[in-house]
Amino acid sequence: MKKLASNIMILAFCCGMISSAFSADTICFESRKGSSEVTKRDLKPGLPNVKCSSKTGAVLWWGDPFDGTVPLGDMPLLGNIPPGKAVVKPRAEKLAILPMCAVACHNGVGPTFIPPTLPKDKKPKPLPTMEGLLPDAKNLQHGRGGLWCLDCHHTTQRNKLVNNFGDPVSFDQPQLLCGKCHGDKLRDWRDGIHGKRIGEWASTGKKRWFVCTECHNPHNVQDGARNRGFIQIEPETPPQLPRGMKNARHELLPGVSH
Amino acid sequence: MAPKKTPLADPVKEQPSECPAQAASAEPLAPGKTTTSRRDFLKAGGMLSLSSLMGAGALMAQSDEARAAIEWAEHFQGNYRLMTPKEKAEARARLEKRYSAEYGKKVTVDGTEAQPNVLMGYALNVRKCIGCRRCVKACVAENNQSRGKEAGQNIEWIQVLKMERGEFSKEKMNQGYPEGLGIQVGGNAYSPAGTVLEGQYFYEPAAVPEKDATYMPIACMQCEKPPCVKVCPVRTTYREPDGVVVIDYNWCIGCRMCMGACPYWARRFNLTTPVLPKEEMNPVTHYLGNRPRMRGVVEKCHWCLQRTRQGRYPACVEVCPVGARKFGNLLDPESEVSLILARKNVFRLKADLNTFPKFFYFYD
Ligand code: SF4
Repeated sequence: MKKLASNIMILAFCCGMISSAFSADTICFESRKGSSEVTKRDLKPGLPNVKCSSKTGAVLWWGDPFDGTVPLGDMPLLGNIPPGKAVVKPRAEKLAILPMCAVACHNGVGPTFIPPTLPKDKKPKPLPTMEGLLPDAKNLQHGRGGLWCLDCHHTTQRNKLVNNFGDPVSFDQPQLLCGKCHGDKLRDWRDGIHGKRIGEWASTGKKRWFVCTECHNPHNVQDGARNRGFIQIEPETPPQLPRGMKNARHELLPGVSH
Repeated sequence: MAPKKTPLADPVKEQPSECPAQAASAEPLAPGKTTTSRRDFLKAGGMLSLSSLMGAGALMAQSDEARAAIEWAEHFQGNYRLMTPKEKAEARARLEKRYSAEYGKKVTVDGTEAQPNVLMGYALNVRKCIGCRRCVKACVAENNQSRGKEAGQNIEWIQVLKMERGEFSKEKMNQGYPEGLGIQVGGNAYSPAGTVLEGQYFYEPAAVPEKDATYMPIACMQCEKPPCVKVCPVRTTYREPDGVVVIDYNWCIGCRMCMGACPYWARRFNLTTPVLPKEEMNPVTHYLGNRPRMRGVVEKCHWCLQRTRQGRYPACVEVCPVGARKFGNLLDPESEVSLILARKNVFRLKADLNTFPKFFYFYD
């Protein structure tokens, strides 16, 4: 029965992906691929909601920075921001499998999911269904082996994250979870020094805040092929060569020593 | 068509104001009104005095008489900074008309002045930048630069310089000192010049950031004491009260003195007639900002004046996927830039030149 349910789920998921691939819409991604995506359209004649890169598909320009946003929920120590000035794009509806999480498998009542029978150690166990749905689960790179799923995901409410006190946290407010360990980053993010905001530049202006998971993939933040916290992405095209310059090979030779 | 600009024709602009043609800038633009005869007179007079200096066909070729008059008036308008508010408004209205016809859509040319108690500042986190060049392309999407295929037709204001990362390792502790009496120029910590690459602008890997690379985006630093402003012979480039160094493109004679003076390689020259497809043109412009330029004038980053004077972040700030770019009011202690100056390690590029940039680099 459970197998059937999961198969149906996978089928539904694939169908969703195929149908989106066949529609004629241009879909661009905002910060990183696989995170918040937008479909290109006109806000009004001549004003597109986004302009996208023809090479990478990244959003380069927003016609309306607040398109599709909702107010940022309550956050401790944010009392100095007037209501309505901080908005976010809801993440929950973009996460493709989230609606299924709490109903299909992890409804929180199955015998193996009641807290008393949780595994003894925190070693993530291979769960083929889960890995099929979420490839990142196969190779969790966060916390150098010290973390496992339920440190961040709520035990019984699988469509929620979990905060310091075991209370559920919406996927729209991952900062309440991430700030548990990355307090310095949370402080800088709160003050606008870390992370990204778009909208009005005045400190009292209205801004769309990008939340942690819009830029970082929490499941592979430590990917070894790079040396910073941000995933490797395809760069945009290099500048045009000046008139008369055939190639840029001179840049690959060390300069003369002095 | 852009107004005809030849070095020979430009000294005419400097003629004393009794010159009948000069008065054309104050002439209200009202095609079809009773001013027609006067305009014809001016046109004829101008033709006579100028026919030896500029191609006689330049204005005659205009089939549309109203448009010819616009270009005529535009050609003889004064230095934007010295214009009265009325003249400024007229100059902008003229441009709106010309651009709207040229690009087939409603183009606005804004003239919003600097706001009091605002000193714009910029901060960039060099540790975070991954060299993806999205800022470069976002700038082009916003600021109506030329984007042709031929050499010299593709203008980008931001350059991203890739550098080898210096390393502080025990093995290299005693390396990198200059030999003999030499003074080390270039290189990096522990590696002398001649053994490391000096920097790359044209890097093109499959994915960034590459290991052991540091990326440093460079554009106009909006100096407090800008060398480019000092050298401009016609004073068409100047610093606005909110800290942005701007150019009145119409008054620029294309001598490129400023390009030679700028220590940050920030200025670009329109060597060819700019190639700007109609559908890609951004119709929201500012007179001192992103309005379409003509051949033979210099342009550079102006912190998206058309956006920032209306309160919106510059395009490069919004697009940066890693949030390395921060913009705000230096006079507001709560602004993002002020907080960075207070908390982070900050430096300015070539601070020893005493240009006092308002663009700061920082790292965590
Ligand atoms: S967009 Fe940001 S990360 Fe990319 S090159 Fe520009 S400053 Fe660097």
